[in-house]
Amino acid sequence: MDPKDHQPLDGFDQLLRPHMERLYRLAWRLCGNKSEAEDLFQDVLTKIYVRLDDLADISEPATWLCRVMYNHFVDDRRKYSRQRMVIVSEAALPEQSVESLAGSDSPSDNAERADRLLRLGDALAQLSDEHHEVIQFHDIEGYKLKEIQEITGDPVGTVKSRLHRARARLREILANDGTFF
Amino acid sequence: MMNCEQLVDKFDDLMDGSLDAADMKALSTHTEGCERCQQMVSRETALRNLLQEYGDSNVPTPTATYFDEALVTAARTGRKQQQNRSWLKGFGSALAAGLAIWFFSGAFVQAPVGPGTDSGIPVITMAVEEARTVNLVFSSAVALDNATLTVNLPQGIEIAGFAGQQEITWQTSLSVGKNLLPLQLIATMPTDATLLATLKHGEDDRTFRLRVDVS
Ligand SMILES: [Zn+2]
Repeated sequence: MDPKDHQPLDGFDQLLRPHMERLYRLAWRLCGNKSEAEDLFQDVLTKIYVRLDDLADISEPATWLCRVMYNHFVDDRRKYSRQRMVIVSEAALPEQSVESLAGSDSPSDNAERADRLLRLGDALAQLSDEHHEVIQFHDIEGYKLKEIQEITGDPVGTVKSRLHRARARLREILANDGTFF
Repeated sequence: MMNCEQLVDKFDDLMDGSLDAADMKALSTHTEGCERCQQMVSRETALRNLLQEYGDSNVPTPTATYFDEALVTAARTGRKQQQNRSWLKGFGSALAAGLAIWFFSGAFVQAPVGPGTDSGIPVITMAVEEARTVNLVFSSAVALDNATLTVNLPQGIEIAGFAGQQEITWQTSLSVGKNLLPLQLIATMPTDATLLATLKHGEDDRTFRLRVDVS
C-alpha cells in the first residue's frame, strides 16, 4: 500500500506512449494472431508497470521494452502458442489495405500485388521458427542488427548469417512455388 | 577493394543504413563492375521491400482507444500485483495490537470477536479525516489456496493507498492459524454505513460486515 499508487498513470503513460505502436507490432509478429498478440501486449505492459522505476533509468527504452516483451514471450511460449502466419487469406488482408498496397490505380496491378503478398505470407509460414523470427525482426519490422542482438542476446554475426540462410530458404520456397525471384 | 564475399557481408548493414561512407563507396564501386552482385543487391532489395509491404499489410491497426485502455488496465493490474505482494508480507504474521474484528474458522464459519452490537455486526466509530487501522483476522483451520477477498467500502470510507476505489480485490491463500490483514481506513465524510468483506474460495463464500460510524 504505497502512496505512489495514487498516481497510477503519471509517468507510465508518458514513458510508454511513444513506444506503444512498435510494441504492439512486435506482439503481433511474435504471436501471429490478434487475440494472443493482445494478451502478450497487455501482460507485458503490466509487467512494465511493476518495473516502472527501472524504465526511468534506461537509456534506450525502445530496445529495452522490446527485450522485455521478447523474453516474456520466450519464457511463456506455450501460453502464447504461436500460430504461424499461415492465416494470410483474403480475409486477413482487408480490402482497403490491399488497395493501399498498390502503387498504381490499375485494378489488375492491385490484384497481382495482393497475390504476391499472399504467396509471400505462405512462404514465410513454411520457415523454421528461427528463420521466421529473424526475418520478422530485421526485414519486416526493420530492427537493426544491433537491436536484434540486444533483444535476443544473439551476437550480430550470428544474426547476420541466420538472416542470410533465412532469406535463401525463403527464396527457395518461393521459387519452388513457381513465384517470383 | 571490396570483394563479392565482403559485399554479401555488408549487405545487411546497408539495409540498416549503418554503412559508413567508405564502405558505401566501396560497395557501389564493386557493384558497378560486378553484374552478379548488382543483381543480388537489386533482388534482395526487392524482396526486402516486399517483406516490408507485407508487414504493413497484415498488422491490424488497433482502435484509437485500445492503447489508452491497455495502459489503464496495465496500471490497474500492476497495482494489484504490487498490493498483493505487500499484503502477503504482513499476512500470516503475528497479530499486531489493534482491533481484531473477524474470526474465520474451519469451513467458513463466522464468529465475530471484539466490539459488537446487538445485531452481531461489529462497529467502529471514527471522526472525519481520521485514519484508523483495522486488523481483519481470519483464523482458518485449513489451508486455503486461491482464495479471493473483496472489500466493498461505503461512501465516505477509503483505504489508504487505494484512494477513490470503492471495491478492492485481492487474490491470496490462507495459512492454517491466524491470518492478519491490516487495513488502514480513512474517513473522508460523515457516514454510518457497512463495510463488506467477502472471502471466496471455490464455490464457497462468506461475507463479513463492519459498521463504520463516522461523525
Ligand atoms: Zn561481386
